[in-house]
Amino acid sequence: MRGLLPLLLLALSACARPSAAPALTLATSAVGREGALVQAQLARFEAAHPGLRVELRSTPDEADTRHQLFVHWLNAHASEPDVLQLDVIWTPEFAAAGWILPLDRFEPEAGAFLPAAVEANTWRGQLFALPWFVDVGMLYWRTDLAARPPDDLATLAAEAAQPGPPSGFVWQGARYEGLVTVFLEHLGGFGGRILDDGGRVVVDREPAVRALEYMRDSIHVQRAVPADVLSWQEEHARFAFQNGSARFMRNWPYAVPLLSDPAQSKVAGRFGVAPMPAAPGGTSTAALGGSQLAINARSDQPELAYALIQFLVAPAQMIERAQVAGQYPSRPSLYDDAAIRAALAIPAVEARAIVERAVARPATPVYSELSSILQVHLHRALTRQAEPRAALGTAAVEMRALLSRSGLDAEGGW
Amino acid sequence: MTRGRAFTALRRAEARAAWGFMAPALGAMALVAAGPIAWTAWESVHLHDLRMPWLDRPFVGLDNYREALATPRLIAAAGHTAVFAILTVTLEVVAGLGLALVLHHRRRARGVVRAAALLPWALPTVVVALLWRFAFEGPASVANMTLASLNLADQPVAWLSGAVTAWVPIVLADAWRMTPFVALLILAGLQQIDPALHEAARLDGASPWRAFCAITLPLVAPALLVAALFRALDAVRVFDLVYVLTGGGPGAATEPLSLYAFDALMRHLRFGYGSAISMGVFVASFAGALVWIRLMGQRALVREEA
Repeated sequence: MRGLLPLLLLALSACARPSAAPALTLATSAVGREGALVQAQLARFEAAHPGLRVELRSTPDEADTRHQLFVHWLNAHASEPDVLQLDVIWTPEFAAAGWILPLDRFEPEAGAFLPAAVEANTWRGQLFALPWFVDVGMLYWRTDLAARPPDDLATLAAEAAQPGPPSGFVWQGARYEGLVTVFLEHLGGFGGRILDDGGRVVVDREPAVRALEYMRDSIHVQRAVPADVLSWQEEHARFAFQNGSARFMRNWPYAVPLLSDPAQSKVAGRFGVAPMPAAPGGTSTAALGGSQLAINARSDQPELAYALIQFLVAPAQMIERAQVAGQYPSRPSLYDDAAIRAALAIPAVEARAIVERAVARPATPVYSELSSILQVHLHRALTRQAEPRAALGTAAVEMRALLSRSGLDAEGGW
Repeated sequence: MTRGRAFTALRRAEARAAWGFMAPALGAMALVAAGPIAWTAWESVHLHDLRMPWLDRPFVGLDNYREALATPRLIAAAGHTAVFAILTVTLEVVAGLGLALVLHHRRRARGVVRAAALLPWALPTVVVALLWRFAFEGPASVANMTLASLNLADQPVAWLSGAVTAWVPIVLADAWRMTPFVALLILAGLQQIDPALHEAARLDGASPWRAFCAITLPLVAPALLVAALFRALDAVRVFDLVYVLTGGGPGAATEPLSLYAFDALMRHLRFGYGSAISMGVFVASFAGALVWIRLMGQRALVREEA
């Protein structure tokens, strides 16, 4: 019994809140180089704010899992963590639910950030999060096989269909969020959109049908895209390109440093990146991804939380992030910076060209459900369970029903 | 008369004591089973959407159930669940019976064989799902290599992106994982059969097949039915295997009910609607189990009278 008591006390003290120094908590993914980078930046922030501690809450790297964890915390009205790392598509959902604070009272310098990223973080006219870094979809091509990247989608398919290896254009075609980003890029390439400026569903219009037909035919008719991509996510595509079996790849910037590492990559020094090509009449489009920083609406110290966000999105930290983790800055002005030019493995002009083509996915609190409808019907068309026109027609009907049921079709606010 | 009354009083006291003894168990059941079920039922008749707190949490009657029944994706998911349950339970009971018979008749090295057979069952589902995914994914997968070496296919099959072919790894994975469990249940049943019955049959000149049909099968039937019930209840709730193997794809061609309910609840944060689906699954499997148990009970009674 006597042995148990100290143990019990120890356990109790471990459960008790540390009340000494005021502590801010930051919930973010904290693995590998990125984790070490965040730790180092937080140490600098603490040094600049004597008496303040910042605790890092490591959260799952996988988006769905982190989303669930955040929902559990925020729905329970927990005052911690104070600052949250959000995926670009969550901001309107969390804002509408009243889980994160509008940042307008802190007068953020919204104009300094990429407009598409600011738009994605705005709900009902108010800014709810600041973009930490941006992700953009881009085309990886082999510099040893061609003098320049394909100019349009038809050329891309024709070159990809040539027998190999390397042969084929690989992308993320499993039924998940990644498929929507790939579709968004093809859609833009044909001049289509998911929602129009008034928030109406236009994904069943002609350009969208042609974009989806192009995607399906490049798999099943031209065989420019291997059918295996229909169960692939980012890493599957990267391995295929890295092993030299695929000729083109659509992926995020994270793959550049990995593909440049000769220890694991067979294409190191033999690949380049370019904006995704378009069809005649369309616009070259990059899906916008990336991470945002927002403040928990129940935070006890919103001012300090904002100070931390401001510090993390300041140019110095962003440049360091680009250097260490290869993640793209969300401030367009930084692409002229010499340090960034050295940090990005590709010419900064190219990076900037892609970033400026970034298109956000629809900003709505019901985005996850909207996307889920689209995922199912896109995947049905791509696996030939439905014709593209019929699939998009059904998707549009379901999406309109969802928006009207949620009372989000009339009010706008997109 | 007095003896009768005293007897009744005694019975009453005993009954009171019995309730007292059962109270902790009943309390635990109320806490972990009845409570959450009642809560889910309550949620299922309310509009509760975490994404739209301004809608509050109004009572909507059976609206969530009506919406569910009018959703083609949910109806399809119910169909997938039923097909999966029927296919896997049949496969597992047939293969499990075969495995149990082998284990029963092989005296030598029975322990080793039994341990080996149980290995798939001991693996975490996610690991099993990943193993089978690797076996069926890509042109150089085990499945495609096998087909090619047998000259059964000239082109590699994209198993996971075919609406029908995607079922093959799912069903095989479940059968591979759960057959040993079914076999163990049946083996227990086999070992309870009096060897004298088989001896008598042999003396009477019955063929092994006749003995199997007339003695083994009827006597092992209760164990078979219990195993089938366990597996069917599990199959109706299938989630992790499909989640990892196909994610419900291609399209929604392999999406079972629980995965659809998970999407509604955890991804789309529609607690009312998701609860309605969960209640539907619960009521259906509970009713199914009751009917099954009743049928089994009658069989047992018939045998006792005979």
